[in-house]
Amino acid sequence: MIPKFDYLRPKTTEELVGLMAEYGEDAKLLAGGTDLLVLMRDKLIRPRYVIDLKGIGELRGLSWDEKRGLRIGATATLNELLESEVVKERFSVLWSAVGVLADPTLRNRATLVGNICNASPAADTAPALLVLDAEVEVAGKDGERIIPIRDFFTGVKRTSLKPGEFVRAVRIPNPPEGAKGGYYKWGRTRGEDLAVVGVAALVANSGRRIMRVALSSVFKTPLRVFEVEKIFEGEGPLGEQIERAVSVVREKIAPITDVRGGKEYRLHMAGALTRRALEELLGGS
Amino acid sequence: MKYSYVGKEISRIDACEKVTGTALYTADMKLQGMLYTRLLKSPHAHARILKIDTSEAEKLPGVRAILTGEEIPHQFGIYMTDKYMLAREKVRHVGEPVVAVAADTEEIAEQAVELIKVEYEELPAVFDPCEALKTDAPLVHENLHEYLHAPFVFPKPHTNIANHFKLRKGDVERGFKGADVIVENEFNQPMVQNVQMETHASIGQWLPSGQINVWSSAQSPFAVRHLLSVGLGVPIHKINVQVPYVGGGFGGKAGLHWEPLVVLLSKKAGGRPVKLVMTREEEFNTAAVRQGMHARIKTGVKRDGKIVAGEIEYIWDSGAYADYGVNIGRAAGYSCSGPYEIPNVKCDSLTVYTNHPYGTAYRGFGHVEFHWAIERQMDLVARAIGMDPVEFRLKNAALPGCITVTGEKLREDCGRVDECIKAVAKELRWGKKKPERKGTKVRGIGIAALWKAPAMPPYTSSSAIVKLNEDGTATLSISLIEMGQGTATAFAQMVAEGLQIPVEKVKVVSRQETDYAPYSWQTVASRGAFMDGNAVLRAIEDARGQIKETAAELLGVSKDKLTLADGKVLAEGRPEKGLPLGTIATCGILPSGSGIKGPILGYGYYTAEGLTGLDPETGQGLPALMWTFGAQGAEVEVDTETGEVRVLKVVTALDLGKALNPLLVRGQIYGGVVQGLGTTFSEEFIFNEKGVLLNNNLTDYKIFRAPDIPDEFVPILIENPKHNAPYGARGIGEHPTISIGPAVANAIYDATGVDLYDLPMSREKVWLELKRAEGRK
Repeated sequence: MIPKFDYLRPKTTEELVGLMAEYGEDAKLLAGGTDLLVLMRDKLIRPRYVIDLKGIGELRGLSWDEKRGLRIGATATLNELLESEVVKERFSVLWSAVGVLADPTLRNRATLVGNICNASPAADTAPALLVLDAEVEVAGKDGERIIPIRDFFTGVKRTSLKPGEFVRAVRIPNPPEGAKGGYYKWGRTRGEDLAVVGVAALVANSGRRIMRVALSSVFKTPLRVFEVEKIFEGEGPLGEQIERAVSVVREKIAPITDVRGGKEYRLHMAGALTRRALEELLGGS
Repeated sequence: MKYSYVGKEISRIDACEKVTGTALYTADMKLQGMLYTRLLKSPHAHARILKIDTSEAEKLPGVRAILTGEEIPHQFGIYMTDKYMLAREKVRHVGEPVVAVAADTEEIAEQAVELIKVEYEELPAVFDPCEALKTDAPLVHENLHEYLHAPFVFPKPHTNIANHFKLRKGDVERGFKGADVIVENEFNQPMVQNVQMETHASIGQWLPSGQINVWSSAQSPFAVRHLLSVGLGVPIHKINVQVPYVGGGFGGKAGLHWEPLVVLLSKKAGGRPVKLVMTREEEFNTAAVRQGMHARIKTGVKRDGKIVAGEIEYIWDSGAYADYGVNIGRAAGYSCSGPYEIPNVKCDSLTVYTNHPYGTAYRGFGHVEFHWAIERQMDLVARAIGMDPVEFRLKNAALPGCITVTGEKLREDCGRVDECIKAVAKELRWGKKKPERKGTKVRGIGIAALWKAPAMPPYTSSSAIVKLNEDGTATLSISLIEMGQGTATAFAQMVAEGLQIPVEKVKVVSRQETDYAPYSWQTVASRGAFMDGNAVLRAIEDARGQIKETAAELLGVSKDKLTLADGKVLAEGRPEKGLPLGTIATCGILPSGSGIKGPILGYGYYTAEGLTGLDPETGQGLPALMWTFGAQGAEVEVDTETGEVRVLKVVTALDLGKALNPLLVRGQIYGGVVQGLGTTFSEEFIFNEKGVLLNNNLTDYKIFRAPDIPDEFVPILIENPKHNAPYGARGIGEHPTISIGPAVANAIYDATGVDLYDLPMSREKVWLELKRAEGRK
C-alpha cells in the first residue's frame, strides 16, 4: 500500500513555488510517478504532500528551433520524445536512450526530467544528455538559474537542486554539424532491464573532430569521460584512437558489484560497449 | 481412426472470457463485510521469538482480528506436517509470517502491522544444504521426530534431513569395477520462483454455525478441503472450497497454502470473510519457491558406450519447511537415472532443511533440476569415451522391455525416447558441418532427453459428471482447475466426440466447488488429461448408455442398434426415426404423454492402476502411472566478448501418445520452453550472508519477456498411443520445461568448448567461464 498523502495539483509555476516553500521537505513532486510511487510503496519515503506537476501548462511538451535547440518540459513523457521526428533526426543519441528505457507502458508515464531528478547512476537518459551538453532549467523561490548537466548529478540519488527548487525543463543545444550518436545499453536479458552498463557516444568528423563518451551504472553518478575527447582531436589510425579511448574509459570509471552485475564484468562491458559504439559510429569515416 | 472433434485445432473455450477481462479470479472477488489481511514477517533467517506486543495495533480503529502463532497451534501439511500458519517459538526464514491482522481495509491492516513490536533473539542459521548435513549444523526443526508424515517419507530425527530417499538397483560396486571409464561431476542450481501472474489469493469464512467457506487460487480444491479438515479438526461436509479461474499455478498453488490462515482470522473476527492477496514481494519471501539443488553424479561406462553403473546424490535445499519438498526429493529419486537403462544404480536423494524460504512444487517437480545434472553428465561421459552424444543416448535409451531404476519393466506402449532423440537430432541437422565463426560470435547445438511420470501417491483418483440438457447441449463437471493448461478445452472436445454434438454445445464448468463438483485429487503432476480424461470418457460412456436406454424404449429397437450422430440418437437403417438428444435429456416421452426413465447424468471415475509403494531401503516398486518421454535441442549463438547467449532455435519432441488438440499442445510447449529458458539464463534467488533475499521483485529477478524468446520454436508431436489412456494421450504439461537447461548448456559447449555446471547461465557467468577457460589455455 502507498502511505496516505495529500494530493495537490497547482496550475501555475507560481503556485507550485508557493506550495514548495510552504511544505518544504514534507512535499514531493510528481511527474510520471514511475520512481516516486515505487519508493512510496516500499515506504522508503513517506511524503505528506504530493504535488502533481501535470496541471501546469507551461511544463508540458517539447519545442525546438534552429537556433536554440530542443527544450523538454518537466512533464513531457518519454514516449513523446520517442515519437518526435526532431528528436529522432537531430538528437539520435537521446532518442536511442529513450527507446531502451523501461518498456512502452512505462514510457507512457515516465518523463525525462523525472529520470534525471531521480538521479540514479543507472539513469538511461543521463549519458545522452551529458554528451549533448544539455542544460537544466531550474526555478524556485529565489528565481531561475541554469545548471549544466555535467554539474547536475552530485551522488547516488543526489542532485545540485536546492530546497525549494524544481526543474522546469531540460534544454539541449543543437549538436555539432554532422554529429552521430547512440546509446549502447547492456542488461541481463534482451527484455526490459536496468542498465548493467550503458554507454552514450557522440561523434562528428566534419570540420571538427569530436568524440564524446558518457556512461551509466559505472560510477556514483552518470559520468562523462572528458579525457577521451582529446584523443580524437589528434592524428593517428582510428583503431588505435578507439583502443586508447577504451582504456581511458576503463581507467576513469569505478563500478561496484551488486545484484545486477559484478565490478569486473562492468569494467569489461564498459570497454566493450565503448569500442562497439565508437567503431559503429566512426566506422565509415 | 477418424475423429470429428478430438485431435482438432480448436481455440481455447475460455479464450473470450480471458481476453475480455471478464474471467473471474479469486483476487477479483469482494464479499459483503469482507476484511483484508496484512502480515508481519520475520526480518531474521533464524531467531527465537521472545515477545510479541500487539497492544497498539489492537487499539487502531478498523482492526478486527489479530493472530499470532501462539493462538493457532494447528499443523498443516500434505506429506510432512512441519508447518504452522504463523511462526511459533521461532522463525525459520526471512519473510516468514509472525503476526496476521485482518481489518476493514488493506491500509488499516498495514498500519496495524507497523504498530506491532516483536523481540527476537537471533540464532545461528544454515543456508547451504550440504552444510546443513554436518553434525554440528544448527537444527531448523528440533522436533522433527514428532511430526506426522506420509508413510513413504523418511525423515532423520535430530538432523536437518526431512526425507532420505534411497534407491539401490543391482550391484553398484561390481558395476564400477566392470567400467572402462568413470566420470564424476557436480552440478548446482539455485532456488527460483513460480512467478504466477496471479499471486496467491484466498478468502476464508468460518461462520458461527460451524460452516467454513473458502475461495482460493488453489490448484486442488479437494486437497485444500481435506487438509483443512485434518488440520482444523472440522468435519469435511462443513467445508466448501470454491476455486474460480487460477491465474497460473505451475505447482506453486498445489496442496494447501494460506487458506487456513484466512479461515482462522475469520473465526476470530466473528465470521466475516477475510481475504489475503500476496504482494509480489511476498511471493518471493513468504509464499513457497522451487528448491535449490546440489547434485553429484558418478557414472561408470564401457568403451562401447554402455553405462554399467551410476552413483547419484541429489541434495535439495528445501528451505525452512519441506511439506512438498519431501515428495520432490522422492520423485527425483525414483526417476534419478533420466530416460536410460542402467543395470546398477545407487541413489540418495536428500531433502534438507535450511533457513531459506521453503520449497514447493514447480512445473517439473524435481525433474528440471535433476535433468540439469543427468543430461549434462550424459554429454560429459560421451565425450570421455569419444562417442557422439546422440549415439551415446540412443545406446542407453530406456526402451520398451528395459528395466527402470525401480525395477519396472517398461511396457510396449510406454512411448519411445529414441524416436524423440532422433527427431530432435534431425531437426538440428546433427552431425552436419558447424557454421563458421562470425567475429566474436560462435554457434553450437546441443541435445538432452527427458522423462517424467506423475509424482503422486500410488492410489489417487478422479471423477467426472456429464449432464445432458433439454436443448441437446451438455455440461461437464470436473474438478480439474483451468490455470492455463487448456485441459478443459480438450475435455469439451471429448464430450463433443462422445455425444456427437458440436464443441460449441459443450460447457465445461470453470468454477469448481467441492459441495457440488465430482472429486479429483489435485490438478498437478501432468495427470489431468490422462486421469481426469479417463474419468470423463467413462462419464460420457455412462451418459451414452442412459441415452440409448431411453431411446430404445421410445423407438422400440434394441439398444445395440442405436448410434449417436448429428445431435441425435439414430436407429440403424432408419435415419428418419432419429430422436434429437434434447428431447430425452430430462426423460423420454411416450406418444401417450407419459414419461419414462429420467435425466441423463453420466458419471465416471478413474483410479491410478497398478502402482505400488516403494521399498524403503531399495526404492524398488512401481511408482509411475505413465512415463512421458521426450527430447529437447537448442541451437545457440554465443558472443564470446560479452557472454550473451542467443537462442536461435529450440526443438522439443514429446511422445505424447495423442495430441488431443495440437494447437493447445504447441501452446503448452511454447510456454514451457520459455519458462525453462528463464531458469536457464536469468532466474535465481540472490541472498546476502544473513539469508535476506536481495531480488524479491521483478526488477531484479529476471523472468523472460517477449524480446528474450528464441527466434524459432519447433514442436514435434510423436504419437505412439498409450493403452488405457484417453485416445492414447499422455500428460505433457510439465515436460517442455524439463531439459531446456542441459540442451542449452550442451550447445554452449559445442559452440565454445566451455562447460557450465551451475545454473543460471547468465551473461556474466558465461563471460567469466569463457575468460577462465582462456586463462587455462
